[in-house]
Amino acid sequence: MTERTDQFYRQAGEQFAPAIARLSQAVERNADRARDLEQDIHCALWESLSRFEGDCSLKTWVYRVAHNVAADHVARSMRGPRRIPLEEIDSLPTTADPERDAAEALVLAQVRELVRRLPAIDAQVIVLWLEGESAAEIAEITGLSPGAVNVRVHRIKALLANHFDNPETSGERS
Amino acid sequence: MTATPSGPPLPLWQSFAADASFSDPGDCEQKATRFEKRIERRNWLEHAAGLSVIAFFGIGSVIAFVLGEWLIGATFVMIVLGTLITMRNLQRRATNLARRPEDPCRVHLRRQYQRQYDALRSVPRWYVGPIVPGMVLFYLAVTDRVADEIGWERALEGAIGPAAVTVGILAFVLLANWYAARWLKREIDALDALA
Repeated sequence: MTERTDQFYRQAGEQFAPAIARLSQAVERNADRARDLEQDIHCALWESLSRFEGDCSLKTWVYRVAHNVAADHVARSMRGPRRIPLEEIDSLPTTADPERDAAEALVLAQVRELVRRLPAIDAQVIVLWLEGESAAEIAEITGLSPGAVNVRVHRIKALLANHFDNPETSGERS
Repeated sequence: MTATPSGPPLPLWQSFAADASFSDPGDCEQKATRFEKRIERRNWLEHAAGLSVIAFFGIGSVIAFVLGEWLIGATFVMIVLGTLITMRNLQRRATNLARRPEDPCRVHLRRQYQRQYDALRSVPRWYVGPIVPGMVLFYLAVTDRVADEIGWERALEGAIGPAAVTVGILAFVLLANWYAARWLKREIDALDALA
């Protein structure tokens, strides 16, 4: 590892370690496997940063690597509920965890559950949006057209708004 | 939901794992070494399985030739050759992976799908195809040998059942691969539409 790569790795760690931890926990329910995935992403970044030439921002690079490694992880352990595209989901899914009763903690758990049930590309857009990235940044990271990103962001906004406006009717209906 | 116009859409989301940090590069080196060892072990097992098939039919062919059963010996040789070709194809495909996780997610996902699609579509050629000539010849040789004893009509009657089972298994493998390839093609087309 060169000093330059080492510097990028440290910089990426300072800025994006929490976002990568959140991504891992969102796509992998099992805590141990989520921790393994998190380390896999770190190592993929560590290995890939030797190729980083500044053609895109460090943030774009980090998020691309992180989401691609996470998508590969999901593809390898393709079990659990069938993947349903975002446009076919009417409301946030239930988490099968009745002990979570605080409203925001519940919606967070439901959003994670939603992420786990979506096809990879939809899940990537949602997680990046939750990290506060703009539609243009999400488009650059994912390679989707801005229109395709906007459609997905609009859809998740509507799902969340519906959940907070009508919490009593929330639950999976797709 | 307590989002502000300029802030994160779901503030609680970002409050989680705020103290997370990156793994030490040394851990990554250890992990890479463990991964390489696992791949080596998997490759060794695949080769061991192929080599045991080759050894079994190789010895079988020698015995058949010694006993003067030339046709059956030849089918065993063909099965050995087919297994060798399949092993070579497996190795070529396994080492043909370009890892570029820094590509845009859609490009990365499409490449993964395309690789799987190409592999599934060509299963008849690289996986099933090499073993078919040996199997067909095996049935012909055994039926011919049995026909010498009980006549062609009864020999063919006896061969139809096992042959049908073999053809059925092969057809199932081909159909399952075709169906999976068709699903992947739809996924690839859907990803292309998002560009």
